[in-house]
Amino acid sequence: MVLDQDLVRHLSESSVSVELETEDMTLNIGPQHPSTHGVLRLVARVDGERAFDVQPVIGYMHRGYEKLAEVRSYPQITTLVNRIDWVSGYANEVPFIVAAEKLLEIEVPERAQYIRLILTEMARISSHLVFMASYPLELGAPTPLFFALRERERVLDLLEGVTGGRFHPNFNRIGGVKPAYGSGSSTRKVIQDLPAGFLAETRDAMDKVTVAVDEINSLVAGNEIILARTKGVGVLPPEVAASYGVSGPNLRASGVGFDLRKVEDYLPYHLFDFEVPVGENGDCWDRWHVRLLEIRQSVRIIQQAIDGIPSGPLQAKVPKVIKVPKGETYVRAENPKGEMGYYLVSNGAQGPYRLKIRSASFSNISILPWILEGVLIPDIIAIMGSLDFVLGDVDR
Amino acid sequence: MTSSPSETETTVHPLQEFADAVAGAVGGEAKIAFDTVKVRVAPEQWVSTLTTARDELGLVFFSFLSAVDWSAEVEVGDPPGDEVEERFELLAAVGDLGAGRRVIFTTDLAKDSPVIPSVVDVFPGANWHEREAHEMFGIEFVGHPNLANLYLPDSFMGNPLRKSYPLLSREVKPWPGNVDVEPMPGGDEETTEGPSEENPEA
Repeated sequence: MVLDQDLVRHLSESSVSVELETEDMTLNIGPQHPSTHGVLRLVARVDGERAFDVQPVIGYMHRGYEKLAEVRSYPQITTLVNRIDWVSGYANEVPFIVAAEKLLEIEVPERAQYIRLILTEMARISSHLVFMASYPLELGAPTPLFFALRERERVLDLLEGVTGGRFHPNFNRIGGVKPAYGSGSSTRKVIQDLPAGFLAETRDAMDKVTVAVDEINSLVAGNEIILARTKGVGVLPPEVAASYGVSGPNLRASGVGFDLRKVEDYLPYHLFDFEVPVGENGDCWDRWHVRLLEIRQSVRIIQQAIDGIPSGPLQAKVPKVIKVPKGETYVRAENPKGEMGYYLVSNGAQGPYRLKIRSASFSNISILPWILEGVLIPDIIAIMGSLDFVLGDVDR
Repeated sequence: MTSSPSETETTVHPLQEFADAVAGAVGGEAKIAFDTVKVRVAPEQWVSTLTTARDELGLVFFSFLSAVDWSAEVEVGDPPGDEVEERFELLAAVGDLGAGRRVIFTTDLAKDSPVIPSVVDVFPGANWHEREAHEMFGIEFVGHPNLANLYLPDSFMGNPLRKSYPLLSREVKPWPGNVDVEPMPGGDEETTEGPSEENPEA
């Protein structure tokens, strides 16, 4: 038999140029996965080692706070809002209370504003320390967790000493912060302020946090495996971040020096000297590093606030039954996770007519389908962890 | 910290110039209250307004998109009082990434057929926000790539954030905290006073 030479040549060429056809597979991650910080489910189409068309499925923790807020009074709502991002519960209360105060046109006493500011920054430190603990763990490095959680407990103990709650402080009141035992009868009025020694202990704790942050940094920054897994991974350009509403440290890691503490007046941040750390490349490493630097800046703010805290009342004069006048306002704050805002519509009643809760993590993880397109499967965990979200803040 | 509407009548609000510039650029009507700039536009201008905001006004940061159900009759909470114009007020908040300027664009949608073009092509971040507004208010976003439920189960009936939607747990059992606070002697005028003496070593 004579072989057709053309056919032979064709067959041999095709056998070397043929692409390896792999079968697509659907990979389901979560909703119960330790790296999802709650109950997030990802559905990805996997081609070889890469993920495509990643679709986050959320709503497993939806609690309907926006509807609930319509049937509750303003003091009752603070107990709801500090459950949104429970890692920094205190920080969620402040913009909501400030929105109500804005409509009421109440001037909050300076001492109360300073206390709010100190506790907000402590919430930021404790939130970032959770990230310092969990992120290396997700990358396979468990050691930093022990350093970070030890320091976080130090900060939470102080928060608990003031507010009575580690996670859900419920410490803000319209017009100030939680007053004495009796705002009732004037004869039984007990003067209650910050616990004795709080400021000195906080100063001491801040020194220890600074040392611990350096320790964590030395554990992580010199680790070649962590660097290899985070540098250049999950790069987020600033324009894309802005168009998705990604805010906070995730936006600043992409090189945008935008911090609501510098431009909004919900707390007197203009009185303090602090820097806004930014990243260069917008990759996972920068998102880690920006948060590390932010802890140092928060320590600076707290130290200045302790030095400058004025004396005076904790509460402005407010009516017993608070009815917020008609009006609409949007107050946003720089929370540990990013822009947290409340669009408050009041119709003059004891509760809001409508409360839109703009939470940071919701917009921050809406970027996932974009940022996870075509990445290696192990990088899904590295990128997701670097965005530092909490599902309570996503689902509200 | 606060700016009352009465102030804005006598002196020019610091945001007035900015608000007028935005309203002029998009062809809308600006309103400033409580440090919040709102610019109302017609529904036909919705997409072009947000495109102009992004491309010409530097408002590149997409904050949120949501709605308010203005309704004279409500199943939950207190009615808005007075004569209210029945409508859905659609909100889209955008801002810049420098001076911290921000605007909430609004447009009014009819109660019986709330339909509006999607702005996903302008701000991709609007994707989830529009899905939420769709399930919660029943607003139809034309051109949205995937208008499926975001939070609610697929089989869920109704639009929970509409004022006509009852809070079912409240129907079954009245809220125990709903008891009226007993008026203090002197009525609502009674004020509380916080502690005023300073604590020397706090």
